[in-house]
Amino acid sequence: MNLRRSAALGAVLVLALAACSGNDDKASPSGAGSSAAKGEKVTLTYVNWDGGMDKVVDEWNKLNPDIQVKLSKPSGTGYTLYNKLITNNKAGTNPDITEVEYQALPALIANQVVVPIDDYVKGLDAKYDKASLSQVQFEGKTYGVPQNVCPMVFFYRKDVFDKLGLKAPATWAEYATVAAAIHKADPKKFIGNFTAADPGWFAGLAQQAGANWWKADGDTWSVAINDAASKKVADYWDDLIKKGLVSPQPNWSAQWNTDMNNGTIVGWVGAQWGPNQLPSIAKDTAGKWAAAPLPAWTAGDTAVGIWGGETEAVTANSKHPAEAAKFVEWMNSSDAGMDSLIKNVQAFPASPQGQQLPALKTPPPFMSTQPDYNTLMATAAKGVRTFDIWGPNANVTFDSYSNAFGAALQKKTSLSAALDTMQEATVSDMKKLGFQVAG
Amino acid sequence: MSGPRTATAASKPRGRGGLLPVALVTPAVVLLLLFTIAPAVYAIFLSFRRMKVGKGLLGGGKPTEVWTGLSNYTATLSDSEFWASLGRMLLIAAFGVPLTVILSTLFALCLDAKRARLVGFARLAIFLPYAVPGVVASLLWGFMYLPATSPIGGDVVDYFGTKGIFFSVANVAVWGVVGFNMVILYTAVRSLPKELFEAAELDGATEFQIAVRVKLPMIAPAVAMVALFSVIGSLQLFNEPTTLKPLANAISSTWVPLMRVYTDAFVNNSIYEGAATSFVLIAMTVAATVLVSAVGRRIARRSTR
Repeated sequence: MNLRRSAALGAVLVLALAACSGNDDKASPSGAGSSAAKGEKVTLTYVNWDGGMDKVVDEWNKLNPDIQVKLSKPSGTGYTLYNKLITNNKAGTNPDITEVEYQALPALIANQVVVPIDDYVKGLDAKYDKASLSQVQFEGKTYGVPQNVCPMVFFYRKDVFDKLGLKAPATWAEYATVAAAIHKADPKKFIGNFTAADPGWFAGLAQQAGANWWKADGDTWSVAINDAASKKVADYWDDLIKKGLVSPQPNWSAQWNTDMNNGTIVGWVGAQWGPNQLPSIAKDTAGKWAAAPLPAWTAGDTAVGIWGGETEAVTANSKHPAEAAKFVEWMNSSDAGMDSLIKNVQAFPASPQGQQLPALKTPPPFMSTQPDYNTLMATAAKGVRTFDIWGPNANVTFDSYSNAFGAALQKKTSLSAALDTMQEATVSDMKKLGFQVAG
Repeated sequence: MSGPRTATAASKPRGRGGLLPVALVTPAVVLLLLFTIAPAVYAIFLSFRRMKVGKGLLGGGKPTEVWTGLSNYTATLSDSEFWASLGRMLLIAAFGVPLTVILSTLFALCLDAKRARLVGFARLAIFLPYAVPGVVASLLWGFMYLPATSPIGGDVVDYFGTKGIFFSVANVAVWGVVGFNMVILYTAVRSLPKELFEAAELDGATEFQIAVRVKLPMIAPAVAMVALFSVIGSLQLFNEPTTLKPLANAISSTWVPLMRVYTDAFVNNSIYEGAATSFVLIAMTVAATVLVSAVGRRIARRSTR
């Protein structure tokens, strides 16, 4: 659920391309494969980068002496991990279970890194709503148990807003007005930033506006990253940036952290997991923030996009897929597992049943002044609108986003033209890989 | 240039083709084959391949590797972004390399000057940045550039601006290597025969004239070597821009050619295109090396004439 990407700090092994890839003719164990005999002790390996996950795993290990899970943190988050999984899949060295952000699951399926778990986990259709299931079910098979849903919300410095007599904006038009008011009161202050570092952020905003970047019709894909809805979002932010009302600093940069911490930036278009990150971004501002519903395009519209969210998936390399699936099911859909996730990882469960858990009555520590924080999330979660499906090469789309939007911000050119670049890069890569693309 | 044969080597006649020489070079050859040649050959192989997914929406079935001829190469060579990244790298090299050579020569000559004081301390101070890892150096400078944390006027000067970024990256790179090159040149100057300088001094040459007219021509071969190192170093530019990238919008993931290789292979998950781009770069690096060393040799020959 944590979208933060640590910069590719250790990334120096550039030309060592060949050295790390193994035989590809080695058959990987099939999903229906060997499970442990009764009574035999099984140890599973699990890779996940969320803080606090170790405590969740500890609870499972206490309850299941015969199926022990060993948690490890990946050397890099996001696509650094996924690409490593794809490479290691050929060598057969992947862990049994991995964390996957929703947008990356199709790519892992297309590369046969993960296997369907339908044989081991039953009855998910009754436990989850359609929006969550569409993130893990493809071509009639289920590849994971949805862990959380991360609706986008608006965080703002309540103290600053109150002082200026401002309220959290309910619509994007109001957001622009409030942005102008804040900037006028103190030209150094901004209501927020437009981040070129977070493609998932923009995708979430586009979802809210009604964009549908990928659609599947039978075996054929249609790609519409530069559709009218996405362009509307790009043009809206373009206008705010050109007027100097929002900061163009990318999220997670030292500059942004400092600006968030010292009150230069007084708002953040974020997502449910924000309070998990804010302590390390703006530690001096604890208790001063409040969360509000994401501004809407038309007043009263409750549609919001998602930013982040993850599932756990069982890998093709796993020799114990049945046990692995059992752990995944426990963690993401049992009351005990979800309760532990809420308390330790501050997750907001994807399961509607999990959203009723008493643990959610307590807000995350950083939002202690807003006791109904999770009620707000539950309401927001009802309005979640996603793409039909994430593309099989969302990694290319995402990389293209950062480059194209970064360049547009730097050169002060049109943001919506950057969407055309993304569309072009995505479609040409899909065609090159052999996917059928309409148009 | 082969040196005179030493007495010990010639004194004892040895049977030709003994096993000892073979045994002695074997480890080196095996390591070279295993860790340099074999991966290189495999990478060449990969550069002519590509991934093809099966039928079905998500590829339904194991993706296969197929031959693709030169298409990875043509894709790289016909991509304007590749040439743009090459252009950015050359722009940085265009002022990074001369700056490195000039500064390191200047420092070396100054340290060797008769009136120089605190030589040991100065030498260490100039050399120290080389001991700082590139990533750390980039972060260090990155924080100095950012308006929020800058002690050097980052809120007035836009170090991450469209033009400023070239200076900022080159500055980090030059800062890191000047010390090392200075040491090479300083060693070269120190190994020159002192009588020459004394003779020049007796003839009435000033300290400046000795440095420029006597020392500089004599260390020309070393300067040429430093230039060669700097050119190769600048072609390998990667650490600095990669580390500075998340700090601002100025640097894309394909900003210099090596970053493109990394992005192709590990972000876009196409080691095939990454391999092809690598080979294009290797060809260019070899060409540049040959060119620079040819020029360097001419300079060296002229100076010894």
